[in-house]
Amino acid sequence: MIRHLFKLIWNRKKSNFLLISEIFFCFLVLFAVLSLVVYNVRNYSKPLGFEYDNVWLLTSRADIDSTELRIAVEQQLAQKIRSYGEVEGTALVSSNSPFAFSQMKVWAQVEGGPRILVENIDVEDTFAEVLQLNVSAGRWFTKQDDAARYESVVINRVLQQELFGAESAVGKLITRNDSSQVQIIGVVDHYRGSSEYSEESPVLFTRINQQKVAVFWGEMLIRVKPGTGIAFEERMVKDLSGIAKNWTLELTTVEKMRQTKEKLSLVPMIAMAVVCGFLIFNVALGLFGVLWYNISRRNGEIGLRRALGASANQVYRQFIGEVLVLATFGLVLGVAFAVQFPLLQVFEVESIVYFIALGIAVGLIYLLAIGCAFYPSRQAAAIHPALALHEE
Amino acid sequence: MITLKNIEKVYQTKTIETVALHNVNLHIPKGEFVSVMGPSGCGKSTLLNIMGLLDEPTNGIVEIDGKPISRYRDNELAHIRNQKIGFVFQSYHLINDLSVLDNVELPLLYRSGTSAAETRHMALTALEKVGLSARTKHYPTQLSGGQRQRVAIARALIGQPEIILADEPTGNLDSVMGEEIMNILLNLNRQDGTTIVMVTHDENMAQKTERLIRFFDGQQVSDAKTNAYDFQQV
Ligand SMILES: Nc1ncnc2c1ncn2[C@@H]1O[C@H](COP(=O)(O)OP(=O)(O)OP(=O)(O)O)[C@@H](O)[C@H]1O
Ligand SMILES: [Mg+2]
Repeated sequence: MIRHLFKLIWNRKKSNFLLISEIFFCFLVLFAVLSLVVYNVRNYSKPLGFEYDNVWLLTSRADIDSTELRIAVEQQLAQKIRSYGEVEGTALVSSNSPFAFSQMKVWAQVEGGPRILVENIDVEDTFAEVLQLNVSAGRWFTKQDDAARYESVVINRVLQQELFGAESAVGKLITRNDSSQVQIIGVVDHYRGSSEYSEESPVLFTRINQQKVAVFWGEMLIRVKPGTGIAFEERMVKDLSGIAKNWTLELTTVEKMRQTKEKLSLVPMIAMAVVCGFLIFNVALGLFGVLWYNISRRNGEIGLRRALGASANQVYRQFIGEVLVLATFGLVLGVAFAVQFPLLQVFEVESIVYFIALGIAVGLIYLLAIGCAFYPSRQAAAIHPALALHEE
Repeated sequence: MITLKNIEKVYQTKTIETVALHNVNLHIPKGEFVSVMGPSGCGKSTLLNIMGLLDEPTNGIVEIDGKPISRYRDNELAHIRNQKIGFVFQSYHLINDLSVLDNVELPLLYRSGTSAAETRHMALTALEKVGLSARTKHYPTQLSGGQRQRVAIARALIGQPEIILADEPTGNLDSVMGEEIMNILLNLNRQDGTTIVMVTHDENMAQKTERLIRFFDGQQVSDAKTNAYDFQQV
């Protein structure tokens, strides 16, 4: 029977061409949207490497020229904040703090190796504690790094693998931005600070050492005790405004920053899904219409098959089967096209993402085809054989 | 083989009620070649459809091999059609997108347990019987009317049915081609013992069969052995 259906569809390929190409395009769009969704969902399910609950971000800006003065005020603010019982710790950080819209790229290179573009984040020693990073090799920054011969840095495992592969990175020297030699003292498990929906990229933590280079950072992460609420927030902002008069102080939670970033990732996905949904609805209508039309055109054939010994159920199965075969033709073309993405590595995305998307898209197309064929096929099976033969 | 008892067929439409068959009693014994004649609209096709289990009578009993068919479910009826009955239609009813060979093989598609090779072999044998061995790869639209009807007959006989129901098989053909078709049917009946019921408008054709039943307005008006029958018996 399956052979018969393939033969039938193949011999009717001209009249089925439109349907097959509709299925083909529908599959490609589904594949594209699903690839994006699978990519995002997979990233989302991976560890961030830090805990952002109960972490706030204080941004301070001042209209003062003197850097020393600004640093001094920043120190006072930090001291004041740490003095509250509700606060567990603070850490100065460069503007590319978790979920911020800011990046700072530097080149990292092992002698003789390739240059790798990495995210450089300047952090205070307390940063690992405030964000609860997990150091899996070596150690995090401490006071003893003040006296180190080379500037100490900590990297994430992604960077370790890119620089050294399976080898340990701890103690190794790398060149930063083609100029300074820095020494890796530790490796953190993960750090995926840009967005929950993006892949983990290589990260280099540089130690903030105000004794050596005095910089006004303007961004401070604050870990508060669980359950600390708005009342404390208001009180603290009021106290801080008293210290930093005429400064602009902004206090937000890292959670809020995460939400903003999330919207940015979800909006295009939702928009695409809506467009895709409309398209699929259209294709479904087309499919349904053509199937419906085909069946009324094929009354004589249906009557004949019944006369030759097909039961109503066999006619039903034949029509469902035909649609599945049609879908298969469209899918074979579509899959042949879609597998080029993982094969040619068009984008830097793991192949598995494409294969999952491909599998889901194939399944959805078959479901769609069966869904559209269901009712017309039932109608075909219900056609009275004598009537159908009579009409021809 | 087939027995009809008190068959009544009424077509009910919104406005009118048509009595297509009224009080039809018939017995077709095994191996007989029967022709059915009558004016247009007198119910001949309706009769054949009921005999062929494609339609149900409004009243009355249809028996196949002595068993009333009213008990059967749809798939069982389909099975009987497939095993015992072959149809030939005036308008051939070939599937244009399938080759001659594939068209002939159709009935075996609905019969489980026949291998592809076996099916092919049976189709070729059937085509040989109707003299179309040279046209197996053709498509119906590439054939003449007479050739198409021969394909349809090959399709009807591939499953070796006990009975062939032919509704005006020569109705669309000229007399020469009609003659050819008639000879094929006569051969089938005489050599293989296939029971045949044929509707025709052609008195000459009818006279070649053994028995002629005449219909008028849904009722049998005569039922008699023909000269051919007498001739055969002598
Ligand atoms: N589906 C139907 N609905 C309503 N009436 C029908 C239907 N099929 C047949 N009839 C009517 O039943 C009667 C018998 O029709 P049938 O087709 O059996 O005639 P016929 O003897 O085969 O005619 P012809 O020689 O023209 O083929 C006709 O009056 C016809 O109009
Ligand atoms: Mg008729």
